[in-house]
Amino acid sequence: MCDVEFAEGGVQISLATYLSRRSNFVQCVLLATSTIFGERLCSHNQCSSTSANQPVPTKGLFVNDQLIRFLEKTFADADEVTIEALAAIPGGFSRETYRFDARLSRGGREEVLAFILRKDPPKAAALLHTSRQVEHDLIEAVRAHTNVPVSQSFGYEMDPDVFGEPAMVIQRMHGSGQTSNLFNDGVDANQVDDVVRHLCEVMAELHTTDIHKLNVGGQLSDPRGVGVDTSSWDAYMDSTIEYYISSYPSMAYDPSAMILLDAALTLRRTKPRPLPLALVHGDFNPANFLYADGKVTALIDWENSRVGDPREDLGWMVAMDNMSNTAVMSHPRDEGGFLAYYNKLTGWDITPEELGYFILFGTCNIAVPVTAAIKRRVSKEHEQFLHLYILQPSMATLVAFTQLLGYPGAPA
Amino acid sequence: MNSTPGLDGLIEGVIVGISNELMPYLSNEKAQATAAMMQSILQAVRQILPVYETCLVQEHNDMTATLRTAAEHLKAVAGPEADRIRGRAAELGQLADLPVPEDRVVVESAHTELGRALEASIADLDVLQRAGGVDASAADQALMAIRAHLAPRYLRDFQLISVGGGFLGRG
Repeated sequence: MCDVEFAEGGVQISLATYLSRRSNFVQCVLLATSTIFGERLCSHNQCSSTSANQPVPTKGLFVNDQLIRFLEKTFADADEVTIEALAAIPGGFSRETYRFDARLSRGGREEVLAFILRKDPPKAAALLHTSRQVEHDLIEAVRAHTNVPVSQSFGYEMDPDVFGEPAMVIQRMHGSGQTSNLFNDGVDANQVDDVVRHLCEVMAELHTTDIHKLNVGGQLSDPRGVGVDTSSWDAYMDSTIEYYISSYPSMAYDPSAMILLDAALTLRRTKPRPLPLALVHGDFNPANFLYADGKVTALIDWENSRVGDPREDLGWMVAMDNMSNTAVMSHPRDEGGFLAYYNKLTGWDITPEELGYFILFGTCNIAVPVTAAIKRRVSKEHEQFLHLYILQPSMATLVAFTQLLGYPGAPA
Repeated sequence: MNSTPGLDGLIEGVIVGISNELMPYLSNEKAQATAAMMQSILQAVRQILPVYETCLVQEHNDMTATLRTAAEHLKAVAGPEADRIRGRAAELGQLADLPVPEDRVVVESAHTELGRALEASIADLDVLQRAGGVDASAADQALMAIRAHLAPRYLRDFQLISVGGGFLGRG
């Protein structure tokens, strides 16, 4: 990261340490949020059961009942479906996520299946507008045409009257999501090389799979509907950067956001060599995979997936690896790290300089909707507190931009 | 430093957030009362902030004059108490007036205008850079001058605005 030091409680610490402590804090914030949410669920339903099993109120029926109806349609041969252990999963601002078990009676036999309900947040609160139907189609295409481990999707419900907002139900995969345990002498540090080796192989396979097999109905060519053209690499890069530049007025809540404009214009002036377009995960980071026994058991959170340059995923991982105080990019050690092994698998010889470009490119891709959401809050188009709060962590992003753009005096 | 949202906008946002996103879900009456008191304190801060430094300066300048006036009234009075008051008037009562700070709205407006000028210059420089040639080289240098101004600002903002926690995304 960088060696600039900050004072925290009178102690000088590095930016990387500072950011990692901030990440830890967020878990507390999110847990606190889920606790508040749990209190609301309980009071609305006058529920006497534990907080881990709270029905969520929607129009007409509670989520328990809606889930039963949904699964009865999905498993038409089931005689009876009951829902158990429904609980909100803290973490992630873009979707509301719940875990639950479904007990199915079929032909006199009973089985328990593990599921995840992924639900859109209220429209005003959404940082990124994506479609659960598109995510469902993608996941099923990935399952059908690759060996990339991914949860099975059991369907989606776009009618907001059912779950309160559009939602999808996916299989809850086995494996640990505590990927921080793989690093910094964590309890699973002995698995890190094997897990990251598999992770790299998974990404190489995803990026080299014919995009026509995965881009069902062309839905992932321009999922945000912002004029991205994927007819060629140049067209993709030019149209995406144009999207960043033309979006600037919708982001510039204050002139101090001008570094975002500088970044987008710099991206346009310094395009790297082309590579074949691929299906990119879109949020490939150290928190978005599960693992067990030295293998990746699932890549998760595909909502920002789209056709793009494969270096976007690698660049975003570099950025988030730094922010998360993990070291995905340093493994597998015997192959010289993630990039070296990825290059060996793909033959693309991607350079660290190219990754630097795509860290900036990928960060802009996230910054556009997030910063636009901040501006909508600042101009009082809505009153969501989250969007005001994001101003704080976004400051770290702007410092990172000064580094990536080589600003004189930026932290090394 | 951002001028939008300013300090007032941030505090107002917290007040609204307490109303919309906390209070409806508080079932404990004491917690509800505490939340309302928090809003009251925050609203008071909103009202004080725009005039806080101006009030302090005006009161400072008025206190020096008051010390002098009080001593003037005691001109004919003898004794240690009157001597001490005259002493304070001679020392602290002679302090120079402090300058009244610029109105925050005026400062924010001027700051925003200059910020927009730099922002527009970045766009203009990009045109020159893409045109190539000698002008592009000069534009490169001009852009670096703007970047050199901005880098320490972003770093300072990060240090000032960030609190010991809070990072968007999964922990």
